[in-house]
Amino acid sequence: MRFIPNTESVRREMLAEIGVASFEELISAIPESVRFRGDLDIPGPLSESELLQEVSALSRRNGDFARLKPLVGAGAYRHYVPKAVGALLSREEFYTAYTPYQPELSQGTLQAVFEYQSFLARLTGMEAIIPSIYDGASAAAEAALMALRLSKKNRILVSSALHPHYRSTIETYAAPHRTELIEIPCREGLTDPVRLEELLGEETAAVIVQSPNFYGGIEPVAELAAAARNRSVLFIQVVAEALSLALLQAPGELEVDILAGEAQSLGMELDFGGPYNGFLGARKKYLRQLPGRIVGETEDRDGKRAFVMTARAREQDIRREKATSCICSNHGLNILASAVYLSLLGTEGLYRTALLNTRGAHYLEEKLAGSGKFERVFGFPFFNEFVLRSREPMVEVREKLLAGGFIPPLGLGSYLGDETLAGTALFAVTEILSRNDLDLVVELLAK
Amino acid sequence: MKLIFEKSVPGREGYSLPADQFEEIPLESCIPKEFQGKKRELVEVSEVEVVRHFTRLSKLNYGIEDGLYPLGSCTMKYNPKVSEHLAVLDRFVLAHPFAPADLVQGSLKLIHDLGVMLGRITGMDAYTLAPAAGAHGELTGVLIIRKYFEDQGERRIKMLVPDSAHGTNPASSAMAGYRVVELKSNQEGTVDLEELEKAMDSQAAGLMLTNPNTVGKFDPRIDRIAAIVHERGGLLYYDGANLNATLGLLRPGDTGFDVVHLNLHKTFGTPHGGGGPGAGPVGVKEFLRPYLPSPVVVFDGEKYRLRDPGEKSIGMMRAFVANFSVLLKAYAWILSLGPEGLREASEAAVVNANYLLVKLRDHFRPAYGGYCAHECVLTGRDYKQHGIKTLDIAKRLMDYGYYPPTIYFPHFKPYAEETLMVEAPESEGKEVIDDFIAAMIQIAGEAESEPGLLLEAPRSTPIRRTDDVLAARRPVLHYDDELKLKAGE
Repeated sequence: MRFIPNTESVRREMLAEIGVASFEELISAIPESVRFRGDLDIPGPLSESELLQEVSALSRRNGDFARLKPLVGAGAYRHYVPKAVGALLSREEFYTAYTPYQPELSQGTLQAVFEYQSFLARLTGMEAIIPSIYDGASAAAEAALMALRLSKKNRILVSSALHPHYRSTIETYAAPHRTELIEIPCREGLTDPVRLEELLGEETAAVIVQSPNFYGGIEPVAELAAAARNRSVLFIQVVAEALSLALLQAPGELEVDILAGEAQSLGMELDFGGPYNGFLGARKKYLRQLPGRIVGETEDRDGKRAFVMTARAREQDIRREKATSCICSNHGLNILASAVYLSLLGTEGLYRTALLNTRGAHYLEEKLAGSGKFERVFGFPFFNEFVLRSREPMVEVREKLLAGGFIPPLGLGSYLGDETLAGTALFAVTEILSRNDLDLVVELLAK
Repeated sequence: MKLIFEKSVPGREGYSLPADQFEEIPLESCIPKEFQGKKRELVEVSEVEVVRHFTRLSKLNYGIEDGLYPLGSCTMKYNPKVSEHLAVLDRFVLAHPFAPADLVQGSLKLIHDLGVMLGRITGMDAYTLAPAAGAHGELTGVLIIRKYFEDQGERRIKMLVPDSAHGTNPASSAMAGYRVVELKSNQEGTVDLEELEKAMDSQAAGLMLTNPNTVGKFDPRIDRIAAIVHERGGLLYYDGANLNATLGLLRPGDTGFDVVHLNLHKTFGTPHGGGGPGAGPVGVKEFLRPYLPSPVVVFDGEKYRLRDPGEKSIGMMRAFVANFSVLLKAYAWILSLGPEGLREASEAAVVNANYLLVKLRDHFRPAYGGYCAHECVLTGRDYKQHGIKTLDIAKRLMDYGYYPPTIYFPHFKPYAEETLMVEAPESEGKEVIDDFIAAMIQIAGEAESEPGLLLEAPRSTPIRRTDDVLAARRPVLHYDDELKLKAGE
């Protein structure tokens, strides 16, 4: 076997050195009653060329996604990832390494994480960045648990315009802690500030609002955060489309207490939903309550700048059942992807990419809404996602788009099981779609 | 080394974008002024500088292809190149999770089939591939146990965890709302049956067990342990951290385990990524299938689909489906080895560990007697008299060109102190292991004759030992913190 160097004769030599007559002696602690004696019923072994054929054949059961352009986002966005990102990620020193517990041999990983934390601090305006929770949904759930610990209260108000997967994940994580999750209804596709005021009470630990929200709407975060602050309630903002941060007000400046984000848009491919990378931002005073790893700067014995994992007395390997979370392995390589992506795009590149997104999205929205075949559902400002109601059945819209080479938008009526949204679709437009592509969409749907 | 921010020069660019074809649309008409933020200053660096920067950073790291990575409990095995190639096939990597099911039959089939294969390898009936990491799998598994007892109308508030367990076990149990009861190990390093009998009462939901455990021992009374837990109405949880000792030899499902989590990035050859991403699939026995998280992949005889398992499900553990590319690499690894290859891998790993144990036991007293599974737990306690800690031994190994073994884990009194946990997976050959053994023995000699070499180690690495207290006392968590510190703010 090509991944196992020791041959049968070497193995016999080693067993002799160990002082046993057979391999079985080494595992004699396993009771015979439970020993597995059969052959595992799995396929293989395959040679490398057979494996390539097998997996390539499997991939061909998928659509030709190099050709099909997505008009769907809803928490997963196809942005262009420069080839330098993949090339640098495929350096074995990065992708085969372990968690950087030994800083002397891990400065590459540690400095890259520090740089990522620095980029995110500037993008979000938050004082402390936890660089990696598994994804945006689990980051939102960790933020909720953190708010429960900080406030010692048990009611959380969740905007009904939060991504349903995030909502479900928060529910799963919060279930054992006798937490009451209460939905803040929406008005015109945005979290209703009047209802929020009514729901805020003594027992409220936190308010969770996504912006841009699941429907694409930019929430009046400053106003909502102030309402929470006035009642001494923690305000958690969720960001599922991190590129929006390049144009919108920084959550830190809006006095958001905890930010839970998804960084997939910053250098990660769609990959059928993962691995992506969640992050948290918080005020520095909450550092000891944050879950997961964080990198800090220090010095080595010779006074040289060095990076280490820090504030470790929150983590499971040290604190066991008193840890702030059980998270151990995170999505370290995805941190690196974003660090490289943000270095390449830089100040101008990220800003201009965000501009392309929002202008393209508004271009398409305008054309479709003006065609008479679609109507606007909400009047809110948006970044790169919006909702339209089709006058034609959604099934036909989907068929036309697929035939024209586009992955259709998410049909909200069926997806959310909400009859008031029957016939509506959540469109996403990124820089992947050129003006010609968008004109073609209009031609397919509006002519 | 300079930070990327310190390499920034105004006007440089490392990106290329299509021409803006929407210039006639003013930004204000898209996003009202009151919602716009100021332009974020990131960096301005050319592509070649970015590539050189991260290439140089990579050279400050140590990867599996640089040499032996004997981290016990982490199973740092070779990550096949072909897997990396497969994981970036366009039709997989560009698949949108909300694409119509007809367009993602390949992705869904892969997830489905990997679940079936893992089921057969571990003797479990149903798998979820959603969990993103081992600890995420643990949390999933314990939440499944919790939901199950809730449904049974049973109030069980405790979870039993041996003192030798990974920190993630008590942390996951606490996160799932359980009170953690720590079980003291016996003098062989395995579960003390009397302790278990005492603790396993009607309040206990079950026992989380790693087998072989973290001191490198197969539990010889696993049949009895399972019987005790089940007789008292509890469930048995298998932490798959050490599954690499068992492939084709011992299946947790045949041993009485009800819930299992695996670490694809340990046992199944997917890379550790400098901290992740991995994947932590969870397998259950049939009676727990309805509790699996949403969504699950089902095959209706014609098509693969994502489905919500129904009202008993614990809900979602994350957004979307799974860490797909990680699953793909594990699938490729399993197919490459096949049934005999899997057994051969575990056998080779166990032989390697015992060879290390036998060759090193006279120099680094093992925590426990007897043979070990796929990793051995040695200690540096005999060098304390020379003022040497296990940490110093680990740091000195770096000067010999090795990444050190896991140190200070497991850590519990009285046996597992000053521990060095060594694991050389099946992908390491005898010569590599012999060289490592020679280095370890050399260091043992130095500890007695020239302890200064250990205390001053490492000297050959990009940086020397770090001041961790300073890092914690004065948190500098990003570049602007550093600028403020320098400005004396």
